Amino acid sequence: MSRKSNMKFLYVGIAIAILLAVLAPFLASSDPDGLESAAGGVVEESKMSKIEKTEPVVGSPMPDYSIEGLGKGGEVAAIAVGTLAVLAISLGLGKVFSKKN
Amino acid sequence: MHIPDSFIPLSQAVIYWVVALPFIIMSMKWAKNELDEMKVPILAALAAGIFAIQAMNIPIGMGTSGHMVGAALVAIIFGSPWAGVLVLTLVLLVQGFAFGDGGVTTMGANILNMGVISGFVGYYTYVALRSKAGTSIAAFGGAWLGLFISAIACAIEMWIAGTFPLRAGLIAMGTYHLIIGFIGEGLITSIVITAIAKSRPDLLEDNYTARPEKHKKEAHA
Repeated sequence: MSRKSNMKFLYVGIAIAILLAVLAPFLASSDPDGLESAAGGVVEESKMSKIEKTEPVVGSPMPDYSIEGLGKGGEVAAIAVGTLAVLAISLGLGKVFSKKN
Repeated sequence: MHIPDSFIPLSQAVIYWVVALPFIIMSMKWAKNELDEMKVPILAALAAGIFAIQAMNIPIGMGTSGHMVGAALVAIIFGSPWAGVLVLTLVLLVQGFAFGDGGVTTMGANILNMGVISGFVGYYTYVALRSKAGTSIAAFGGAWLGLFISAIACAIEMWIAGTFPLRAGLIAMGTYHLIIGFIGEGLITSIVITAIAKSRPDLLEDNYTARPEKHKKEAHA
C-alpha cells in the first residue's frame, strides 16, 4: 500500500460521490422507501394520519435533501453539502485517531 | 429503512440508543487502534460515497424503492464490522441532523439496524462464504443477508413499538427488503468488492478474510 495510491482512491471516491449527488435528484425513485411503504400497507389509516402529522423532534436545515425554493438545483446542492460534510467529519476523525504513536 | 421519530415511542427509542452506544464506542476504539494515515483516505472516500449513494433511491416496483446501506461493504474492505458501524454512525448522524432522514430520537435504532446488524451479519456471512464461494458471491450473499436481517429486526422493533402488526409487518418489510437487498445491496457491494479485488488487491490484502494463510503464519511466528 502506498499513501499516494490511497489518496487516488480518495479522489476517485469523491468524484463518484459528487457525480451521484448531481444525478440522484434526477434518477432517484420518488416512491416511498421500504419502511414507509410497509407502514402505508400495514398501519391502520387513523394511526397513520396521526404518525404523519407528528413533526420530527429536532428540525433539520435541509429536510428531505432539498433547499426550500431551489428545486432540483437545491437538491443537488443539499446532497453535495451532505457528502462534503461526511467527508470532512471522516477526515477530521481520522486525523484525531491516527495521531497515535 | 430510516426510522422517523414518530414510529417509536421515546421510552423505547432511548433503549435502542443505550444498546447502540457500546457498539459506537467499540467502533471508536477500532478507529483508535486501526486507523492510520494510509487507511483514513479509504475510510473517508467510503463514507462520502455511501452518503451519496443512499440519496439515490432505486425503484424496485410495487410502488416502493430502496437504497444501499453499505455497512457490509465497509466491513469487508477493512476486514472488521466495527468499520461498518463507524461509517454508518457518521452517515446517519449527518442524515438525521441535517436532512431529517431518520429521527434523532430513533437514531440509536437506525445505527443498530443499519450499522450493527447489517454490518455484522453481512461481514460474517461474507467470511463464512468466501473460501467456498469466492469473493464476488460471498460479498453478494453477505450484503444481501445483512440488509434482509436488519429489515426483519426493524419490523420486530416496529411491532414492539406498537406501530406495525407483527405478521403483516414482517411480510411487508421482508418482501420489500428481499428485493432491495438483491439490487441495492448485494449487487453493488459485489461489484465494488470485485473491482477492488482486481484493481487494488492490496486493499483487501491485510484482511484476515482475504489472506487467511498470511495471518496464520504471522500468528505462529
